[in-house]
Amino acid sequence: MGGLSEFELGRWSIVIPRFEYIKPGSLIEAFRLLDEHKGEAKPVAGATDLLVKMRDGVERPTYLVDLSFLDELGYIREKDGQIRIGALATLSDLVASSTIREMVPILGETAKKMASWHIRNVATIGGNLCNASPAADMAPPLIVLGSKLELGGLEGERVIPTEEFFRGPGSTVLRDNELLIEIRVPVMPEKSGASFQKLSIRETALSTVSAAAWVQSSGGRIEEARIALGAVAPTPIRAKHAESALKGQETSDGAIERASKEVMRDISPITDVRGSKRYREEMSVLLARRALIQALERAR
Amino acid sequence: MNPRSRRFNWNDLIRTVDFGLRGTKSMTEEFRRFAERWEKASQLLIAGKSVHRVDAIDKVTGRAKFVEDHFFDRMLHVKLLKSTVPHGRIKEIRAERALGLAESVRVFTATDIPGRNQVGYVISDQPLLAESKVRFHGELVALVAADEPDLAEEATELIEVQYEELPAVFDPLRAVEEREILVHEERGSNIAERTRVRKGDIEEGFEDSEVVVEATYRTGHQEHTPMETEGAVAVPERGGMVVIGSIQYPHLCQKITAKVLGVPQNKVRIVQAYVGGAFGDKDDMGPLVTSMAALVASKTGRPAMLTYSREDSMTSSCKRDPSIIDYKSGASGDGMLKAIDVKIVMDAGAYANRGPFVLWRATMHASGPYVVPNARIDGYLAYTNKVFEGSMRGFGNPQVQFAAESQLDELAKELGMDPLEIRLKNLLRPGSRTVTDQLLERSVGIYEAAKGVAEASNFKEKWETHRKQRGERRRGIGIACGYHGISISRGVPDWSSAYMNVYRDGSVLVETGICEMGQGTWTAHAQIAAEILGVPIDRIRVIGGTSDPPDTGATHASRGASIGVIGVFIAASKLRKSLDEAAAKLLGCDPGDVEVKEGKACVKGHPEECLTWEELVTNAYQMGHEMSATGYFYLPRRTFDSEKGLGHAYPAFSYIANVAEVEVDVETGKVKVVAVWPGLAAGKILNPTLVEGQLEGAVAQGMGYALMEELKFKQGAIKNPNFTDYLIPTSMDVPDVKKPVYVEDLYEYGPFGAKGVGEMALIPTPAAIINAIRNATGVRIKEIPATPEKVYFALKGVIGGPE
Repeated sequence: MGGLSEFELGRWSIVIPRFEYIKPGSLIEAFRLLDEHKGEAKPVAGATDLLVKMRDGVERPTYLVDLSFLDELGYIREKDGQIRIGALATLSDLVASSTIREMVPILGETAKKMASWHIRNVATIGGNLCNASPAADMAPPLIVLGSKLELGGLEGERVIPTEEFFRGPGSTVLRDNELLIEIRVPVMPEKSGASFQKLSIRETALSTVSAAAWVQSSGGRIEEARIALGAVAPTPIRAKHAESALKGQETSDGAIERASKEVMRDISPITDVRGSKRYREEMSVLLARRALIQALERAR
Repeated sequence: MNPRSRRFNWNDLIRTVDFGLRGTKSMTEEFRRFAERWEKASQLLIAGKSVHRVDAIDKVTGRAKFVEDHFFDRMLHVKLLKSTVPHGRIKEIRAERALGLAESVRVFTATDIPGRNQVGYVISDQPLLAESKVRFHGELVALVAADEPDLAEEATELIEVQYEELPAVFDPLRAVEEREILVHEERGSNIAERTRVRKGDIEEGFEDSEVVVEATYRTGHQEHTPMETEGAVAVPERGGMVVIGSIQYPHLCQKITAKVLGVPQNKVRIVQAYVGGAFGDKDDMGPLVTSMAALVASKTGRPAMLTYSREDSMTSSCKRDPSIIDYKSGASGDGMLKAIDVKIVMDAGAYANRGPFVLWRATMHASGPYVVPNARIDGYLAYTNKVFEGSMRGFGNPQVQFAAESQLDELAKELGMDPLEIRLKNLLRPGSRTVTDQLLERSVGIYEAAKGVAEASNFKEKWETHRKQRGERRRGIGIACGYHGISISRGVPDWSSAYMNVYRDGSVLVETGICEMGQGTWTAHAQIAAEILGVPIDRIRVIGGTSDPPDTGATHASRGASIGVIGVFIAASKLRKSLDEAAAKLLGCDPGDVEVKEGKACVKGHPEECLTWEELVTNAYQMGHEMSATGYFYLPRRTFDSEKGLGHAYPAFSYIANVAEVEVDVETGKVKVVAVWPGLAAGKILNPTLVEGQLEGAVAQGMGYALMEELKFKQGAIKNPNFTDYLIPTSMDVPDVKKPVYVEDLYEYGPFGAKGVGEMALIPTPAAIINAIRNATGVRIKEIPATPEKVYFALKGVIGGPE
């Protein structure tokens, strides 16, 4: 997703540059291959983004390390108060999972708004994050849920908050020989609710703007709120100004309205084929508001 | 440009040649004699029934072969080298590196064309491969062939073309005024065509008007997005060439291919592969791809397959003409239309292609299906340095109906009427005259169709309730009508022909040039042949889309199962007559008393005195009855005055009324179409299931055009030649298309009274949706596609939106 429209006009190619395809038998082997071909190899799962980028010449890896057969990373399960999602779980897996439906329904709702059925059957949650599109729909909900990412490689594992994963369009903190292994989502506490809002010209198309909110409330007050937006900055971003404007506030329409406007201080949208800067700004405020309202309803 | 190429002026031709008035009378009478028999028939057994598609089994089992499913030994794959500048002189093409890549690589440019490098349709302005100059970003400069597709593509990227860039013009309104930057210098102006209608006296009409409304409407490009892109495979054979292509008119492909190769037409045989969607694109692009594949095959002596990638298809195939329409309308206090003053500017892109005819159709349909006593309509077709435009479902008509039907709602509002009322007052009826002063004696069912869908959708009540809504999500309902001249226009000759053969075992072959592209026309052909011969439909085989039978005309203008099939109607009727005579002798009765149905020939009223169909055919052969027939029909014509734009514009019109209900999110501007009620007056409905398919597809395509499909340009280059950002409706987005209301307003020169259907439901869909948005929000959207952003800023009252 993405990438295409920014590529040099008029040089549309249909040839995918030659590459060597490698199918590792295990995760360890995958790490070794990536380490061995550092800088020349690209891991691939659903390939719904990478192949398009290769066709456009944006990516030219010498080796493709196909992870899609590593069934060990396709899980979705709850353990120790956390929902653990293997990086290779597909978007369809998220939609179908009863664990997701019962514990963090927002993730299933989000997956359902992404792409067509066919793409959802092969595209993975890990791929959506690692592709690092500013419009990656999975990112805002994972950020507001306070999720963490487990990154692994031959040198060991590290765990980072999802919001610290992205560095810019198409760029993450992953090292060349590292893989995203698992997404860890804390089980939603009592009196908390979350919502994902997406605006695109067609339901399942790329987002013009997306927003997610997570709220915990008690006694008519907002104890804590998290808001994140997509497609309005070089990376999915957290709207911290809006969050602090909500902390401790009464759950009134006015408070939500005021806080939503604060997202303007965190976003920096551009004009492109999907929407103008101004439309994106106004929609960011609106979607943040809608997400907050729904999250609050769900927090009751 | 070739100095020999002269602009072929239809207007001159039509003024000087009296087409069709000679020799057609007896033909018309013959057709009427055959047709009357069926008009009197108490019931039809096959025509009018939802029989299964004749191509269903091939398609669902995957046996149907599309262009790319063909494979030949030693076949070359052909790729396209396209211009990377919008306007420029070609200084040099360096292909050494490409040719050095592999032995099989070959590169062909304009200089390699043995015949004429000229494929312009109405105006001779378009080379097959750019010659000395490119006029749009994406124009074809060279063909690159190699053993493997990837190799050909790699070679394409190694070719270096040096351009001397020229200043370019992109805006059609600027282009028509422009004197310095000319897309075609030799034409002296960027105006490719002018059209007009002058009826009555508009000054008087506006004086008589109680209310006058005026606005400018804009419509965008629309890409056909057929699932199968453009393509053809050419195979040299026995001193000639066979070309299998994704096409809509085999005989035109044959003519153009022969011209490009410089060979007689009988050396080129065209065969239509199964077509994965066409929508007009394959009508215009078909001859180009067959010519290019044949060029490579003829130069190399090897089979050659050319297929457009999706990006090629988006950047370099024709599109629906964008338009800018200034529209002024006046009506009396009781809601009768008095006058219209319309100026249409269409953007042809770099080549006129079908543009003159698209503009002509737009001009002659600019009033909508209403009685308008006074009209001034002016049309301009502008060349710009963008991808060329061409045929697309509706052919100029959706653009003007969008404007005309928006205007009508605004008039109604000024008059305090509801949208249905003003339409019912002004709609054409039998005996009315169109805006070109064409008398419509009969077969005008739009009034009943409009009334029917209004009732089915509960229009009046919903319209009243919806407009009082408040809140963030609002419903709205809109109605729009349309009419569409069937087949081709004014004096341009139009005919139908077919060949039929009854084999000795009683099986029947129908051969026609009409193409099957998903619409189901071959099924309608088989139904007509089976009904007339009196045999079960499985005895009929239809082979269409080849250049082998007589020229049948194109499968466009909603003519395939209307005028296009009359040849079959006549050929079958001739065979039936001959067989009736044979049966009469065998059964010992009068030919008029022979009844052939369900594969049996009996004496009327005596079901025990019968012959089987097979016995009848065997005996007929022995008795010396001819068991093959051709059918030919030349449409009766009347005159048209091109100076005033008045007269007989089309042989028949089909009519449509659509009601659309939408839900508008007023905070984001996003519009969802909830339901559409189509009302169709297209004569006899030959196959209800297939007609429903046409209506549903047309509604979906019309909805995409109205709400989401938008090509974005940067210096003439298309920024979104992909399905990531050129968005078309998916099956999940298609609204609930309700059971159609049919008004069977039979047409005297249609098969069993059928007119055309294919384009109809697209035509008023944008207007119906936009009128529904108006009902929901009180805001008039004057530019489509009405993307969320456009609707949002219109609702906010920001003129022109942001940036």
